[in-house]
Amino acid sequence: MDRNAMLNEMLFRMEEVFWHELSDCAPWKTEYVGIDFIQSQDIKGANEQEVIASCIERIKAAGLAEEVDFTISGKGILLKLRVRGCKLMLKETLLRKSGIKPYSCPIANMIRDQLIEKLGYETTYLADLAADEASGACALKVAIYATPEKVGEVSDWSKE
Amino acid sequence: MAEENLQDILEVMTSRKSIRRYKPDPVPDEMLDKILEAARWAPTGENYQPWRFIVVRDQETRNRIGDLAKVGSGSRMTAWYCLGHMQERFAGIQDLEKRAKVLKFMYSGEVSEFAKQSPVVIAVIGTLMEGSVDVPYDLSAAIENMLLMAHSMGLGGCWVHGPVAATRDARKFKEILGIPTGMGEYKVIAYVSIGWPAEARKYPRPKKNLEELVYWEKFGQTERPHHG
Repeated sequence: MDRNAMLNEMLFRMEEVFWHELSDCAPWKTEYVGIDFIQSQDIKGANEQEVIASCIERIKAAGLAEEVDFTISGKGILLKLRVRGCKLMLKETLLRKSGIKPYSCPIANMIRDQLIEKLGYETTYLADLAADEASGACALKVAIYATPEKVGEVSDWSKE
Repeated sequence: MAEENLQDILEVMTSRKSIRRYKPDPVPDEMLDKILEAARWAPTGENYQPWRFIVVRDQETRNRIGDLAKVGSGSRMTAWYCLGHMQERFAGIQDLEKRAKVLKFMYSGEVSEFAKQSPVVIAVIGTLMEGSVDVPYDLSAAIENMLLMAHSMGLGGCWVHGPVAATRDARKFKEILGIPTGMGEYKVIAYVSIGWPAEARKYPRPKKNLEELVYWEKFGQTERPHHG
């Protein structure tokens, strides 16, 4: 039995029914998926660069993804993640086949959670998840808000 | 039921608008009771009545709810603006200065901050522990009854779901009001702001024609069959 395939198939079914029930709200409801693992890892860091790097190190060490790169721009709000070799890519493929755009990334959820838990960030939001099943990579745009005052600081992300 | 009464109900429904600006005047208890009574009589699967209502008049609590709502909506809309989605959505506003003002009102989150000004906020939550068929549906029916009753008495109201839509925000909302935070205990679906309208919005609002919405006998069949 391929245990990873089984895990992906189960997650796909859960996400499929969540989407059916909640449509565009489904991503907002699934932000806790994945956080238990990262909360067990004693992530440390004095700033966002260190916390995110620490998360990525543990994510890769656990074999959840082969590579995760990140940049922060857009007045400090835009966290871009590029994830390659993710163990959960199959669920995205299955979702797409069922007519649903992939909408939930446990790896992004882990990083978002630790920015809030370890650095006291006000909130975060998964703004875009582009899964490319052919290349095996996902490109994510995550809005991260260190303080309430950061909400409303806009820029053009197409130029970032 | 007499024909004129049916027309009255439709008039209440079609003239109702979401009101986000309120006068500071208090809402009398007897009017509030009528709104809550209307909620109590909403349809509910198996008559489970899972709804519970928390009536909030306290200014400090409403301020906290308003702040939560502002960050909740603003965090999403800031991202949508940065991605260009908001500009597409409001492209219909021809006056560029006005469009920019509206967009800033949205992405700053100010659009959702009005719990601070509405004299009453009613949190609508559902118990998940006493049996229920599908809590959000029952609660939604109760909210609609509340809004229609408020409007029929000249009050304004707004159904606010966005700020409690994300799991983490819903938890913060529960903490503000002392609601048990376990995912198996109570579900927060929305809150309803109530007060005397300080804005006169145009109505009826633009709506799709029935021809776009109704099929006859089977999905996709738009031609109305002849009866009799």
